[in-house]
Amino acid sequence: MKQYFLNIWETIISLSTGFGITWVHMLNIKKGNVTLQYPEEKWPRPERNIGFNHDDYNVIRSRLTVDMDDCIGCLKCMRACPVDCISIETVKAETRGEDIKDIGHVGITSSGSKKAMVVTRFDIDMTECCYCNLCTYPCPEDCIFMTGGPNADRHPIDYEFSEYDRTDLIYRFAKKGSKEKMEAQMFPKKEKAEA
Amino acid sequence: MTVDALYHWLNETFPFLSGNEILIVLAILIPSVALFMVIAVNALVLVYAERKVSAFMQDRVGPMGQGVGLHAGKWGLLQTVADALKLISKEDIIPRLADRKLFIMAPFVIFVGAFIAVIALPFGETIIIADMNIGIFYILAVSSFGVIGLILAGWSSNNKWSLYGGMRSAAQIISYEIPAGLSLITVIMLTETLSMQGIIQYQSGGLFSWIVFSSPFSFIAFIVYFIAAIAETNRTPFDIPEAESELVGGFHTEYSGMRWSFFFLSEYANMLVVCGVAVTGFLGGWQSPIPGYFNTAGWSIFWFISKILFLVFVMMWVRWTFPRLRVDQLMDICWKYLLPIALFNIFGVGIWTLIFG
Repeated sequence: MKQYFLNIWETIISLSTGFGITWVHMLNIKKGNVTLQYPEEKWPRPERNIGFNHDDYNVIRSRLTVDMDDCIGCLKCMRACPVDCISIETVKAETRGEDIKDIGHVGITSSGSKKAMVVTRFDIDMTECCYCNLCTYPCPEDCIFMTGGPNADRHPIDYEFSEYDRTDLIYRFAKKGSKEKMEAQMFPKKEKAEA
Repeated sequence: MTVDALYHWLNETFPFLSGNEILIVLAILIPSVALFMVIAVNALVLVYAERKVSAFMQDRVGPMGQGVGLHAGKWGLLQTVADALKLISKEDIIPRLADRKLFIMAPFVIFVGAFIAVIALPFGETIIIADMNIGIFYILAVSSFGVIGLILAGWSSNNKWSLYGGMRSAAQIISYEIPAGLSLITVIMLTETLSMQGIIQYQSGGLFSWIVFSSPFSFIAFIVYFIAAIAETNRTPFDIPEAESELVGGFHTEYSGMRWSFFFLSEYANMLVVCGVAVTGFLGGWQSPIPGYFNTAGWSIFWFISKILFLVFVMMWVRWTFPRLRVDQLMDICWKYLLPIALFNIFGVGIWTLIFG
């Protein structure tokens, strides 16, 4: 009989303790909240100190990006890629080293070499990329590189690249309209015959 | 506005139809549609509140968003709308080996059980659909009606989990009816009436004439009723009929889409009913806590709904604080603790009224 009332008393005490705990947590939600509203808020990136100077050591593994004004269409990165995630198509330019203004093609690279090719397609499929960094070494113009780290002045770091659609992870770097423009130049007669 | 009053009003406003059966149908239909809206809005609000309360108690923020679109609106206010749209657009699956007729019927039986109990809830002095002289008894009687639906759902799904869930919920609801009923008997002993409006009239005169504060025994009766009410609505910590970790979903394992949402709707309607009975019986119903002030019809709706929402909040608080009980613990609480306490209460209230009444 004594145990019976002890049980009731213990129930009341333990229930009120539980109530208290959740009540305090509910009142302190502004302070105790652990949720991060992801796209709007992000954890601060830690200061990276891995024992060497970033500027000497081009090994950051983030997103690949291409500076299309410097790309001469030599296909070296495409050949170097072990998983074939880079696909490039080029068309011979009419005059070597000349700008084509309506597609934004730049004739001369920043290191001074004249472009013989117009790149009509430069797709990097980041779903396949294995971040081996092998494509960046053969590039004669240093125009394909990983974002951030030693290249932070050229492109801010992007390590998340989360997208709503998987196809959005195929990054298309070629200048807009270059494919249509160059194909129209290559096959003018065919178009007339069709018309 | 009772159905009778509405019928007389319709007869007077449409004299060319007076005595016609259409008016009877209309007088029944209009309050029903209004009540359905009340239940739907109730579920809409409570689902959002439940998400937010549970989130805050677990140090989360719950549904959030910056605008309409992929997010659920400011502070996630559109979350329930998104839920409803999802449920409507979902496929309606009926298992091949299920008992088709009963399977289709079960959610509606449960919903009707919750729905017909709401008509006796007094939202104000005149705002009640059916002011019966046996109101509280009627609610107790019809709210057990949902058990049939639960057993139907459990049986017709042709699934072990569902059957276990149905059996457990039947055992639980029938057991907890007894302490709930006995604790309401203390109210009836004090008020000497079964009518919902009569019980509320007895408690007029401010905070300290409410039955919950009128004697220590009625306070205990309120606690007992509230615990039994949580058990009757199948909510945590008494949610063994739908225990996710043991029975997947219990009696609604096989349900999907709109049928499933009817279970949900009736769960929240049941919460409304049990909290409404608790408010009517113990917390003064639509009476304002300050005698003589704030007691117009509008305020009476406000008091009734805010008292209900307070109790619903306590229910959510309980749900997100305590772990689920085992089946034997559940039965222990009902038969070994709540029932003797409720019986003792009846005795105590009897003595109290003899001495002080």
